[in-house]
Amino acid sequence: MDKMGIVFALFGAVLAALMAGIGSARGVGLAGEAAAGVVTEDPGKFGKVLVLQLLPGTQGIYGLLIAFITLSQIGVLGGSAQISLAKGLLYFFACLPMAIVGYGSAIGQARASVASIGLIAKRPEQFGKAMIFPAMVETYAILALLVSILSIFGIGGINV
Amino acid sequence: MAVLPMQRMELCALKTDRKKILEMLQRRGVVEVNDGSQADDVFRKKDTAPAQVVLKKGVAVSQEALEILNRYAPESKSLFATLEGRTITTVENYDSFAEQRESVLQLAYHLGALAGEVEESRSEIPKLTIQMEALAPWESFELPLDFSGTKKTAAFIGILPPGTTQEILEEQLRSAGEDAVSAEVVSSSPEETYVMILCMRTAAHAVEEQLRELGYAKPSVIPSLPPAEQLRELQKNIEKLTQKAQRAQDEIKSHSDARETLKFMLDYYTMRLEKYEVISHLIESRKTFLLTGYIPIRDTAALEEELSQKFPIAVKFEMPGEDEDVPVLLSNNGFSAPVESVVESYSLPGKGEVDPTAVMSIFYYVLFGMMLSDAAYGALLAGICGFCILRFKNMEKGMLNTLKMFFFCGLSTVFWGVLFGSYFGDVVDVVSKTFFGTHLTIPPVWFAPLSQPMRMLMFCFVIGLVHLFTGLGMNLYQLARAKKYKDVLYDVIFWYILLISLIVLLMGQQIFANISGFSIALPATVSSAVSLIAIAAAIGIILTGGRESKNWFKRILKGLYGLYNITGYLSDVLSYSRLLALGLATSVIATVINQMGSMVGNSVMGVVAFIVIFLLGHTMNIGINMLGAYVHTNRLQYVEFFGKFYTGGGQKFRPFAVNTKYFKFREDHKNG
Repeated sequence: MDKMGIVFALFGAVLAALMAGIGSARGVGLAGEAAAGVVTEDPGKFGKVLVLQLLPGTQGIYGLLIAFITLSQIGVLGGSAQISLAKGLLYFFACLPMAIVGYGSAIGQARASVASIGLIAKRPEQFGKAMIFPAMVETYAILALLVSILSIFGIGGINV
Repeated sequence: MAVLPMQRMELCALKTDRKKILEMLQRRGVVEVNDGSQADDVFRKKDTAPAQVVLKKGVAVSQEALEILNRYAPESKSLFATLEGRTITTVENYDSFAEQRESVLQLAYHLGALAGEVEESRSEIPKLTIQMEALAPWESFELPLDFSGTKKTAAFIGILPPGTTQEILEEQLRSAGEDAVSAEVVSSSPEETYVMILCMRTAAHAVEEQLRELGYAKPSVIPSLPPAEQLRELQKNIEKLTQKAQRAQDEIKSHSDARETLKFMLDYYTMRLEKYEVISHLIESRKTFLLTGYIPIRDTAALEEELSQKFPIAVKFEMPGEDEDVPVLLSNNGFSAPVESVVESYSLPGKGEVDPTAVMSIFYYVLFGMMLSDAAYGALLAGICGFCILRFKNMEKGMLNTLKMFFFCGLSTVFWGVLFGSYFGDVVDVVSKTFFGTHLTIPPVWFAPLSQPMRMLMFCFVIGLVHLFTGLGMNLYQLARAKKYKDVLYDVIFWYILLISLIVLLMGQQIFANISGFSIALPATVSSAVSLIAIAAAIGIILTGGRESKNWFKRILKGLYGLYNITGYLSDVLSYSRLLALGLATSVIATVINQMGSMVGNSVMGVVAFIVIFLLGHTMNIGINMLGAYVHTNRLQYVEFFGKFYTGGGQKFRPFAVNTKYFKFREDHKNG
């Protein structure tokens, strides 16, 4: 049973990459559909809508970041992979904020992006504001990322 | 360093000079013309709508002609075309263009007609092809399809369902009682059978009935010529049409050298259109006209001198009234000017607001650099932008400012990258370990956020506090400038005192020491004194937060709500944790890329794989993280910083100027 530690830890890391990645993939896809629609009407807006399309993509990167930090902390990328069950579970829970909030915020951000792309279609001069609406959603992904990062780094020092 | 002060300008001059004066004003591009005085008995507005229609048509025709040229003879553009800016031309060119305008316009119309010809021919061809397909089964048939028989015999030419053979057909017709019937199957396909039936005229009716029962139908296309001949005719027509389209297309291509002239004509009409729009704002008497508008004070003297030297005029400059909605033009030094567009895309300063550009620019570069935070990425960014700025002197102003902005952002990124010890992530470590077997590393000048994230987080919050306090300070300055000293005390000073004393108290707490790793032991007396100060400030906010309400109860409630704003400050400060998150994202992804690159090992293949992965991976990482840094720097400025003092709402200064697409004039470089 004591060997299960690494399993849980790896599961957490994979989950962060998976869920945040799926969320971003769906989000960028959603925004991409709207962006393509705008470009059919006015190819000149490509640069602007592309930026808006990419905004929900950051969650996937944060998920990758958490997964990578966890992998390197638990020794999967070289080093000893000896982790107690308790520690493995701790890593698992530490990854959860990024996994869950990453997924949810990517979708939420994508919806804001789609709306902002609509805004650009009608009023391209309001680009600065259009960019802020999706960026507001991302704050929560960043907060989740922060909690996950701090937890993962903190767990290393705990002796269980 | 600020919003440029504007003056109202009134200019009265002779109508005979109108063209020249307007053209001069347009080239100077310093006056925004608007409806000033009302029309009366002497001064009337001129109706320029008919002239504008003609000019708009000119613009549309030139645009269409250019599009046609681009469709059939695409312009070969260099990769850096957007950086090269508009071609410079002279005023003489503009003046002399009037002579050739008519011929160029004719050419534009001609191009339009040619393009129409190509379209028409191309849409005609499919129709003919369909006819040919319908006739193809009859190709071997020698009579025309509308042949109805001779004096004694009747002929039925048409289509029957598939699988009908000559024998079956004749048999079925004879069984109906008609002996003298001859049927011929001309051709057959899996879908249809093509037949000719001959019978005596007397029996025609009965045979037709019989045929109808079998599913007989006339051919869909019945030409007067025999099918084979008709097919040849159609083929000839198609060839003719193809040739016609090709000829028209070739002719369009042969005019590709007129592209520049057409561009010039587009600009020419655009400029004249703008001029007529301005004329519609003028009021005119029989011999004179009156122009009103706004002009930045710095340009008044030069303009007045130039105008009065060349023309007999009367011009008056005066300060705009208090309630006037004066257009806003920002002016900043070379360091801050590049972020003007960032301010502008939020909103230009409204009435009584200061231009935040200069203060914002410092934070903009610092925050951007902290988020990208890799010395090598920063050096690349600054290097590429710097090269483009030096190489393309004739660049448009907007593009130049964007490049300058990223140049400064790049420099700041280099600074932070060196402090945090990140050069393409950890490429030095990885390369030295994988390919040279030693372990080299460039140590951070300050500390590495990846190994001390808490320390970095604290630093981000400090930066955030500085940013927020600067925002509050801007509010203070703005209120003091408007001489609202009470508001300065209530809305800014109280908050300063409350926030600072709370921070001092927080630093004495155990929990803070645990998180940040250092503690400041406050003597008990000091901490209780600070607590008292904080409480006093909080009471001050409660009492004054709702001061616009007369009702005391309401006022206190509003004050309490105002104090609740303290949570807003908390979330504002926490928001700066994105500096850490994005900074870590850059370096962790860079590390992942380097690690992937080194996985093949130390061999020739390994080196090749490393270079490929390095180039692709880091290009992607720079792109993604630059986007992230750009968006989130803007967010921190717009939401956290501007939220403290800035609402905006100013109208942009839109001077009457040369807003062309392809050419600009050498005489005056300020018009870009």
